[in-house]
Amino acid sequence: MEVFLQTLVSGILKGGLYGLIGMGMSLIMGVMGIINLAHGALMMVGMYVTFACFTYLGIDPYLTIFISMPSLFLLGMLIQKYTLNPLMEVDSILPENQVLMTVGIAMVLTEVARFIFSSDYKSVRTSYSGATFFIGDISFSVALVVAFFIALAFTLCMFWFLLKTDLGRSIRATAQDKDAALLMGVNSKRITILTFGLGSALVAAAGTILMPVYYLFPDIGGPFTRKAFVITILGGLGSTVGAIFGGLTLGLAEAFGATYIGMAYDDMIGLLIFILVLLFIPGGFKRLLKV
Amino acid sequence: MKRLAMSVCVFSVLMFWGVTVVGPAFADNIKVGIVLPLTGKLAKFGEIEHKSFLMAVDEINAAGGVNGKKIDLIIEDSTGKPDVGRSAIEKLISRDKVIVVGGGYSSSVTWATIAVAQQRKMPFLVNTGSADRITEQGWKYIFRLNPPVSEYPKAFGSFLEDVAKDVKTVAILHENSLFGQSGSKKFVKKCKKMGIKVLIKEGYEAGAIDFKPLLVKVKAKKPDLVYMISYIMDASLLMRQSKELNFNPKLFVGGAAGFTLPEFQKNAGSASDYVFSATLWTPSVPYPGARKYYDKFVAKYNTPTEYHGAEAYAGMYVIADALKRAKTLTPEGVREALAATDMMTAFGPVKFISYGKKTQQNSLPTFLVQWINGKLETVWPKDVSTRKYVYPVRKWNQR
Repeated sequence: MEVFLQTLVSGILKGGLYGLIGMGMSLIMGVMGIINLAHGALMMVGMYVTFACFTYLGIDPYLTIFISMPSLFLLGMLIQKYTLNPLMEVDSILPENQVLMTVGIAMVLTEVARFIFSSDYKSVRTSYSGATFFIGDISFSVALVVAFFIALAFTLCMFWFLLKTDLGRSIRATAQDKDAALLMGVNSKRITILTFGLGSALVAAAGTILMPVYYLFPDIGGPFTRKAFVITILGGLGSTVGAIFGGLTLGLAEAFGATYIGMAYDDMIGLLIFILVLLFIPGGFKRLLKV
Repeated sequence: MKRLAMSVCVFSVLMFWGVTVVGPAFADNIKVGIVLPLTGKLAKFGEIEHKSFLMAVDEINAAGGVNGKKIDLIIEDSTGKPDVGRSAIEKLISRDKVIVVGGGYSSSVTWATIAVAQQRKMPFLVNTGSADRITEQGWKYIFRLNPPVSEYPKAFGSFLEDVAKDVKTVAILHENSLFGQSGSKKFVKKCKKMGIKVLIKEGYEAGAIDFKPLLVKVKAKKPDLVYMISYIMDASLLMRQSKELNFNPKLFVGGAAGFTLPEFQKNAGSASDYVFSATLWTPSVPYPGARKYYDKFVAKYNTPTEYHGAEAYAGMYVIADALKRAKTLTPEGVREALAATDMMTAFGPVKFISYGKKTQQNSLPTFLVQWINGKLETVWPKDVSTRKYVYPVRKWNQR
């Protein structure tokens, strides 16, 4: 029983974090219809921002959210404005080439990070990094619990933002039908720029709250891009609530898989769910939840 | 159109640039190829080896090179991926026309590259890739300087017999790679021989965030000993989370690789205390030049080095020695010279022998180290130890 409960707790805590990672990609994919393969690399940049603030300025990692999110928001907007949007305008270049562009951007970001910080492994060690509390025999990592609640808060904020604000409605409109949105007077170019910025900021937040428990090196992005992609498909494109569900599903599947099947099959379990969802509920949880 | 013309211009300049840089390599120099992961997730290990290779080749060239000729190192990046490693060695052989290849980090990459070397009749001195099967093929062109992974726990075995006699059960955690699988399989056999019961043997995917599900499962089995074959960051997360779960086996032992790097201690912090690890080399080993290599490395690069660096450093000297003795400076000549190697290096004596299923394999003793107060101390065998081991170890919540 202890093993079961501990696995459940691990899965849920990790799932919340995954949800936040997936949310940004889901948003970008929903609005622009492209897979952002630089997603993990953007997360890596956010983590380096946190690392630098903590190491050189002594700012608490959780507070650096207020630095990493705006800077990644800006970086994301610049990327969309000057590298991805121009590709849309040239007719001879297929819009799908934006995806290839994101691969290039990921490589550039990775190598720049290597140039500045070298390929050393870095980590942020705080007093609460290894702190735990016990409920019964189940251990909770303080940092992961905090991360989970921050992720939850972001999801609720995003949900409110997309449903209740004008800007949010414009984003959803662009995601549903770009041309129609354009006809209704939505500046879709501005919306794409904003969305990419928002997506980058969200994944930066995920990176930042992951920092106290995890570690960092320039190539860390790849696996997270893959995870984000799986979560996005699970949750449904453009759906924030879907992303949280997708994240939790993946987190739980990985945790229970690790305990009852074998941790070596981590990736296989994730991708198996991915295939099953594509086969049986294309459109992901979004289609079931209708949000 | 203008843009196209522009990009063609830029492209051709870049191409030309590449050619001019590579072009005027001195015809007289001896070309030696090295395959290492300089980027990618194994870059940290590649970096230490890269620096050690450069340091060794500078020393050799400054001391007059090989019979008056200088050695040109051509270093290719394998990025830690087997397919890239294959094309890297293809390029070294076809385009750079090297006469011997060294390096080879990570078993998976090495396994892929040596197949090319054997096929193209190119001598390859492996200095790190440690999966057993690398030298079990009877391949004439493949030599290995470092002991295979199955022999890493040699010193640990004698420690168990002499000191930790009360260890009866073991849990084995390993990275799900060629290195981890090969090492864990051999360790299971070793345990059976010593009468230690293997309770659980689990692989995991490197780079995981959360090892807790795995660790609670292991904890529930109550093993006396936990043996882990992991690269650096997985190693520190495993230890950190074991501490968080208050998981207290009698011994935590790492099978070299990640557990001996200074970064392990930096990242695991107090969770690294009293963790044992097998290692192939420490600066205190009784070989001439071992301590000197360590001091020179620290002086030059201002960062500590460990066994991977020593392997690379020694590997370069073995290659240079073979080049000196080679009758002809061709791959065939170097192969014959390598086969006749019998020398002392900072990493230990080097002689390529056949034993068991292995051929052209160097045989070396291994050591047991322990992290004590943030320092990596050699604790076994006794005659090379820098400090007495700490055993039994106190429980996490009683420290």
